[in-house]
Amino acid sequence: MATTVELDHRKRPPADSGLPLEPEMHPLVQRPHTLVSVGEALGDIVFKPHPRGWWLGFLAGFALLQMLLVAIAWLFYMGVGIWGINVPVAWGFAIVNFVWWIGIGHAGTLISAILLLLHQKWRTSINRFSEAMTIFAVMCAGMFPLLHMGRPWFFYWLYPFPNVAGVYPQFRSPLTWDVFAVTTYFTVSLVFWYIGLIPDLASLRDSAPKRIQRIIYGILALGWRGSAIHWRRYEKVYLLLAGLSTPLVLSVHTVVSFDFAVSIVPLWHATIFPPFFVAGAIFSGFAMVVALAIPIRRWYHLEDFITDHHLDLCGKVMLATGMLVCYGYFSEVWMAWYGHSLYEWGTTIERLFGPYGWSYWCLIFCNLVVPQLLWSRRVRRSDFWLMLVSIFVLIGMWFERYVIVITLSREYIPAAWGRYAPTIWDYATMFGSLGLFLTLFFLFVRYLPMISMAEMRELLPKNQGGGGGHSITENAP
Amino acid sequence: MSRERTEQQRIELAVESATDSPTGVSDAEPWRDEFPPGAMEWTDEVSRRHFLTLMGASLALAGAAGCNIRPAPARKIVPYTVQPDEITPGVPLFFATAHPLGGFGTGILVRSNEGRPTKIEGNPDHPSSLGGTDPIAQASLLDLYDPDRSAASTHNGLPIGYEQVIQAVRKELYVLGEPKKNVRLRILTETVTSPTLASAITRLLQDFPLAKWVQHEPISRENVREGSRLAFGRVLNTVYDFTQADVILALDADFLGFGPGHVRYARDFARRRKVRIDSQDGVKPEQMNRLYAVESMPTSTGSVADHRLALPSSLIESFLRDVARELGMPEVPPSRTLPPQVQSSVRPIAEDLKQRQGRVAIVVGEHLPPTVHALAHALHVHLGAVGKTIRYTEPVEARPEPTRLSDLKTLVSEMQQKQVDVLLILSSNPAYTAPADVPFAEALRSVPFKLHLGTHQDETGVLCEWHVPEAHYLETWGDIRGHDGTVTIQQPLIAPLYGGKSAIELLADITAAPYREGYDIVRDYWRKRFTAEKRNGIFDVFWQESVRRGTVVDTVAAPVTPVLQKEWLKNAPVPPDAPLEGQFEINFRPDPLLYDGRYANNGWLQECPKPVTRMTWDNAVYMSPATAQKLGVKVDFRWTGGEHGRAEVTVVELTYRNRTVKAPAWVLPGHADGCITVHLGFGRTRAGKHVAFSPNEPNAEGKPVRGFNAYLLRTWDDPWGGRGATVKPTSQTYFLACVQGRWYTTQRDPISGLEMDRKPVRYGTLEDYRRFPQFAKIPSMAVGEWELINENVPMPKGYETHAAHGHANGHSHDHDHTHPTQEGSAHGHNGSPSHDNHHDHRLRPLTMYRPMETLAPDLRPEQRRRWAMAVDLSACTGCSACVIACVSENNIPVVGKTEVTRGRIMHWINIDRYYVGPEDKPEQLQTYFQPRMCVQCENAPCEVVCPVGATVHSSDGLNDMAYNRCVGTRYCSNNCPYKVRRFNFLTYADWSTGTLKLGRNPEVSIRSRGVMEKCTFCVQRIRYAEIVAEREGRSIRDGEIVTACQAACPSGAIVFGDLNDPDSVVSRWKKEPTNYGLLAELNTRPRLTYLAALRNPNPAMPKGA
Repeated sequence: MATTVELDHRKRPPADSGLPLEPEMHPLVQRPHTLVSVGEALGDIVFKPHPRGWWLGFLAGFALLQMLLVAIAWLFYMGVGIWGINVPVAWGFAIVNFVWWIGIGHAGTLISAILLLLHQKWRTSINRFSEAMTIFAVMCAGMFPLLHMGRPWFFYWLYPFPNVAGVYPQFRSPLTWDVFAVTTYFTVSLVFWYIGLIPDLASLRDSAPKRIQRIIYGILALGWRGSAIHWRRYEKVYLLLAGLSTPLVLSVHTVVSFDFAVSIVPLWHATIFPPFFVAGAIFSGFAMVVALAIPIRRWYHLEDFITDHHLDLCGKVMLATGMLVCYGYFSEVWMAWYGHSLYEWGTTIERLFGPYGWSYWCLIFCNLVVPQLLWSRRVRRSDFWLMLVSIFVLIGMWFERYVIVITLSREYIPAAWGRYAPTIWDYATMFGSLGLFLTLFFLFVRYLPMISMAEMRELLPKNQGGGGGHSITENAP
Repeated sequence: MSRERTEQQRIELAVESATDSPTGVSDAEPWRDEFPPGAMEWTDEVSRRHFLTLMGASLALAGAAGCNIRPAPARKIVPYTVQPDEITPGVPLFFATAHPLGGFGTGILVRSNEGRPTKIEGNPDHPSSLGGTDPIAQASLLDLYDPDRSAASTHNGLPIGYEQVIQAVRKELYVLGEPKKNVRLRILTETVTSPTLASAITRLLQDFPLAKWVQHEPISRENVREGSRLAFGRVLNTVYDFTQADVILALDADFLGFGPGHVRYARDFARRRKVRIDSQDGVKPEQMNRLYAVESMPTSTGSVADHRLALPSSLIESFLRDVARELGMPEVPPSRTLPPQVQSSVRPIAEDLKQRQGRVAIVVGEHLPPTVHALAHALHVHLGAVGKTIRYTEPVEARPEPTRLSDLKTLVSEMQQKQVDVLLILSSNPAYTAPADVPFAEALRSVPFKLHLGTHQDETGVLCEWHVPEAHYLETWGDIRGHDGTVTIQQPLIAPLYGGKSAIELLADITAAPYREGYDIVRDYWRKRFTAEKRNGIFDVFWQESVRRGTVVDTVAAPVTPVLQKEWLKNAPVPPDAPLEGQFEINFRPDPLLYDGRYANNGWLQECPKPVTRMTWDNAVYMSPATAQKLGVKVDFRWTGGEHGRAEVTVVELTYRNRTVKAPAWVLPGHADGCITVHLGFGRTRAGKHVAFSPNEPNAEGKPVRGFNAYLLRTWDDPWGGRGATVKPTSQTYFLACVQGRWYTTQRDPISGLEMDRKPVRYGTLEDYRRFPQFAKIPSMAVGEWELINENVPMPKGYETHAAHGHANGHSHDHDHTHPTQEGSAHGHNGSPSHDNHHDHRLRPLTMYRPMETLAPDLRPEQRRRWAMAVDLSACTGCSACVIACVSENNIPVVGKTEVTRGRIMHWINIDRYYVGPEDKPEQLQTYFQPRMCVQCENAPCEVVCPVGATVHSSDGLNDMAYNRCVGTRYCSNNCPYKVRRFNFLTYADWSTGTLKLGRNPEVSIRSRGVMEKCTFCVQRIRYAEIVAEREGRSIRDGEIVTACQAACPSGAIVFGDLNDPDSVVSRWKKEPTNYGLLAELNTRPRLTYLAALRNPNPAMPKGA
């Protein structure tokens, strides 16, 4: 089982550097693989018939997507009044889902960019599909602010474009920042993902059985030939993009949190929101990665590449970010009490014990109580338990945003207090967005290598033809 | 208005209304019938060839129509060759007339934009109005444009010419122009005060000796008339002067919100409630009046009272007897036992009344038995109030004497015995409003000739063979008298939209062959009277002047010095006992907004939250919390629904005198125990269809009508209800659209157990005011910084914040301030702030900018304005006149019950109602109203968060909303701490109904879906005044701009003006110590501020009363 990995002593970090992972202790590829077997194991997925799990996931997603299209058609015909939103609670599921999806989108970039810069080699087996997940999640997220607008056909008014009317976005509004943040994030993530795909697309081009596949993958591979100069430029661009993405991971959710924090709504107006939101985003993002990785590695028998060790590490990240998030919950309540503001504390009371108190306790259960299981190594290494915790976390993080948005129901003026009840169209749009995500994700799994072949090959020990965990250019003389 | 157009419309609408025929078609849903009687049917057999020919031709023509060769409309447009006098396109005109309700007129001014009435305001010259209005009068404008109005004369439901109707009536009544003396004619009207109509009816009665005139008024004032007859031996009209009254005792009387003259009474009453340092605007603290209210169901009057006692209606007589005996009228027979709490209040109230030396008034609800009225009259005489606060005059009604609900019963029995040949029903709907034991609708079948004059094909109209559409009062000439008898000549603002006739015209046409215009009839009457009364001057001048002013001089009812009769007391019936256990006293009351049901198709009134209850679109069985608890009745605001909109309530089976209806129950704190109240006016089956954005929801009985019909329980001998009702809760629930579910300003802190008071409405007693006039300036939080916070409330130019801290009112500095803050204010603040202890100077001001005077530095001084508003919560009675005024002025759409239950009511003004006091002792609750609209923050939170800059600040400090720019992110609404922004979640505005378009204010755009809107301080009125002032080369005068809500307010609780003018009324109000900014601690710098609600309780009253 254990493979001896030849170490490059030049690159080895000193023992006291604090870096958690050492390749020799935690093999990132489970069984002896060669360059060819990696290609067969990962690349051939695209060309082989798909397991039943794929059809299950795809068809479920596709059906939900149709529901989304119906919901959107009706929404555009009737207006946002088909949802349950009203005047105290003018934002409803749309914003909850927006923040939730954006949060999920964070894990991909974190894994691909920040962990790359930190030389966390274990990211390799999960970065590709996490990045895809990011892109699809951001697509789902980006859809919601557009749909939630009263007059969505004027969405472009949020962009600064030259026009004779001389009107311009209002740059003090966090919604304007949001537009820039999300657009930038999506663009950079997409480019990063695509650049990373190029060597693999070339591999697919070269091994595709059908002509049409060869043509399409060929076009997408942009003429990649695997020459040293290609690799050199590729590595540079990839590193640069990683550097560019890194601040985005922090900025996007910070800006999203400004949507709330800049307002004067009690419990929204809090300085803790940016770090709190970023931690929550990573928390939910990793939960989603785990929730996708576990079934996929089982259906496609990828246990060699996505090992229990990977899941263990994801579990640890979840535990850490989860604790950060819970510190945020504590801090909110503490500051509301300690700050001695009648409205902050009154709203906290309503949040905890008011008509929507159940959702707060639901959130506490999902995000504080259940993740404590992750302290156990056995849980972190168990498919079932980890999957269970991840789903709880995903639900809990959805409730976190719900709790935030529902704060609107009871804030300053008692006579204006109200309630919010989602309608069937709210649910249709929410689950429909899940459909969009699943459809896109399963199409990705179907047509593109979900684990980076090139990088997995780099991970192989040198005696098996790999780079010993180092990129080609790193080893180049 | 061209004659042809109305003719054309009449025919089109006639076909439409023909489908509502009662004959042959199921009565419930006649429009479901595909081939209504009279509809043309296509009898040709269609061959393929023929079909293709037609289709081809149609397509070709349709294509050609799309070419649009001529861009102009098909009709010729003829411009004015001679400009009509006084009409300048774009400049509205105002005409004086009067709104009739229950026979009494309230003077109004109607705004006309290019010949279309668009807004109703009060007539300052009219004694019943003094410039204010009520919600009903303003909403009657919408009735004018009601698309469901009857559009043609009909015979058995089929359209027919008006002339043919007249011929048919004349054939019944006249032979060769001579009246048939033996015709048993009956004329059924409502209460008539109109001199012209009365004379027309009298003339008809003279021609037919067997004829009778029956007045049927479902909201009858017979007890009032009967009461004065008992006391004085004759029917007299009572007129109050509340400006002179120091102490007022209201016995189940909502004199501020209901009845003849209530608009004026509200103003008179409020004059003595506005406690001011600046005596131009109000009275000194010692001049504040005191109001005691004893009532069963909470009303506006009870809510603003200084002491309110909840007592079932049947016990109020006992209460007044006790008061009378206490006041030294031993001849009054003793009463039944009162509840101890009420009993202990009798003596202090009587003492208070005695001390005021006649400067007292006792107001008795119209539904209370005549003996109570008589007793009140006797007390007025006893206390020497007659001539001071009370004036007795000749009756105002044209025929006051025998008019009661039993008249209708007599008529019905005559009808059943076939003793009626011809029945003329003039603008009355007895088939709906008749008591349940008077089978009017059934008896109508036995009448051979029946004609109905009505604005709608209503419940009565469809049962009558002949129907004539009635002209709205804004379409026709007429006259009517106000509460004190003042006559108003009603002038039309528009030609009848649906070709209607007034009762005056109809009777004239029946009586004499040449058809006469209402104008000639009314004018002729007054010409005759002018001559008969030997008035000085020229008639034409008199006429012009009367029409223009809206009042006819010297028509006030003649004063009478009454002589009290004493014997009646001996014969007075013994007041009934307290209700039995398990049985309830039922009280029938008119709906505060729909009245007797005639406004059931008025979307503005249906959607306007009712005063105190804040219910829309429904009526309910109102009961006290204790009663509800005993019965197991629940009002539930579930998480799926809303505190702000949707309340799930228990449906009860309400049985009274063996008749049962199913109705939703509503728990109303402050309602008397052991009795229930139901409102008349709901459950109409033929009120109309086009009223709201969303369709009718089924009522508690599952029928597609709004609310339940309480007339089905009412009996003729006890029209206001009595004891013996039973209430049985069912397992069924129903949802009601109540727009406010949070009743308290406080919240319990689970950790400290303290009540945290948010103090949105700040209130105090006169004693609090004397001790510390700035009491209202103390916010609910950051109490230590209260002075800094108040520096951030926009104040008049030149106002020195510190100068006002108690110095201006002779307040000594060394006085030790131990003034209490409101009970249970912000958690944890101990000790009270004193103006002597200056605030902590280490604290920085809440803004880093200097307070600015204007945003545009390059304006001329007269252009530098800071518009601001102040609302006096002491004067607000929660009547909702401002809400309807705002709806009318700003084209606010009606959204319907479904949307209201979703929390999407569009009103720009909310009248918040708060209860203050222990939650578990609802009888001790005090009620406060607070109109909440956009406060036009100088530091507006909504503006910074709009991504497209759709809401921006104007240079004069308005928080403007650019509808065209709005993309509907709704962030502004979330960030508005006052929650006064309203969003068009769906396409609420009616873009299709033609008649409704006529009534809209052309100065205000119609908002479509996806757009945010809110109060603009009536920016269109501001800009209009600016243009006028600019043209006349002067600055805008104070009071020149009056916002719609301000104009409507009967009690004058709202003022608007320029803060840069230190002498403007609004500046003066804001300098008052009670002025406070709502949520000013958030540093929003609200331009709208409130003056705290002051109450003047009697220290001698028992605690909690």
